[in-house]
Amino acid sequence: MSQTSDTTTGNGGNFDPRQAAALLDQTTQRARRQFTPGPPLLWVFRSVVVLVGLGACWLSVRGQRPYTGPTGPALAVLFALVAANIGLSTWTIKHAAAGVSGPAQRAWRIWAGVMLVVLIGSYAFMAPAYHAGASHPQWGLYPASGPLLIVGLVGAVATAARRDWTISLTMLAIAAAAAIAGFGGPVGSWLIMAVGLCVVCLGTAALRAQEERHNLVRS
Amino acid sequence: MTNDELDPLIHVPARLKIVATLAALPDGDALSFTRLQDMIGLTPGNLIMHLRKLEEADYIGSKKSSNGSVSITTVALTGRGRAALAAYTQVLRDLLGGLDGDGMPNHEHQHI
Repeated sequence: MSQTSDTTTGNGGNFDPRQAAALLDQTTQRARRQFTPGPPLLWVFRSVVVLVGLGACWLSVRGQRPYTGPTGPALAVLFALVAANIGLSTWTIKHAAAGVSGPAQRAWRIWAGVMLVVLIGSYAFMAPAYHAGASHPQWGLYPASGPLLIVGLVGAVATAARRDWTISLTMLAIAAAAAIAGFGGPVGSWLIMAVGLCVVCLGTAALRAQEERHNLVRS
Repeated sequence: MTNDELDPLIHVPARLKIVATLAALPDGDALSFTRLQDMIGLTPGNLIMHLRKLEEADYIGSKKSSNGSVSITTVALTGRGRAALAAYTQVLRDLLGGLDGDGMPNHEHQHI
């Protein structure tokens, strides 16, 4: 690159402080964007995933007498969207972490592993509950809100320990939405989770965007 | 406040980009040479030259490791480098705070 022609002397040549401030802010913002495993656009995509996926489940259980749970097509839509989210998230995380190593990276990987185990574990409780004779309304309420209440609370504590306050707040908001959804009944909990998680994801996208745009020098 | 107060080691476009990029990583994390080169857009030779200057001042640290037959070099900002960037940023803020929209020091308008 030609910009290095004035650089060997070390005095910066005619490098104006304004140019330096602009370059510093621009480079910092670009680096933050490239290193962030959860960029704002991914959170916007997740908001669509939860709104459409959980919304489809709510539409399929609305008016059920008695409540029998989401229909096959609704669950297929939900699982397809969740799979798409997992695929896109994995690609984004790998892209952001490429070439990066160190303690923060290791802590992040451990956190992701713990959260995966907690998520699978909390959903795995559904099977014993079902076999223990839990009625459909009780069982139907559980997958919509129960696991995410556990995941949200564990995630909030774990991310607070890493001082990732944005994600800690997100996890706490997920737990709060799940707790509120628990009062919505088997049908209403799907709708509350769909809208609640959509709002949480959009809020996180806004916070992430604000973090990325934050200037070091120019306000 | 004058431009002379800006750290000459950082006040160079290529090195400012290197330091700012490494500072965006969490403290203690390192970046591979190839990813850094990809992000900064310098030739390997130029990047090595700038990294060497920063390393001599203890602003960055580098480590070589081998993964089978592949040798990987990683670079990370040191505590001293982070402090130097913070000081540089503060001087820039002070300098820009003392300039008006035309790029002239505020006090010079009083003489015109």
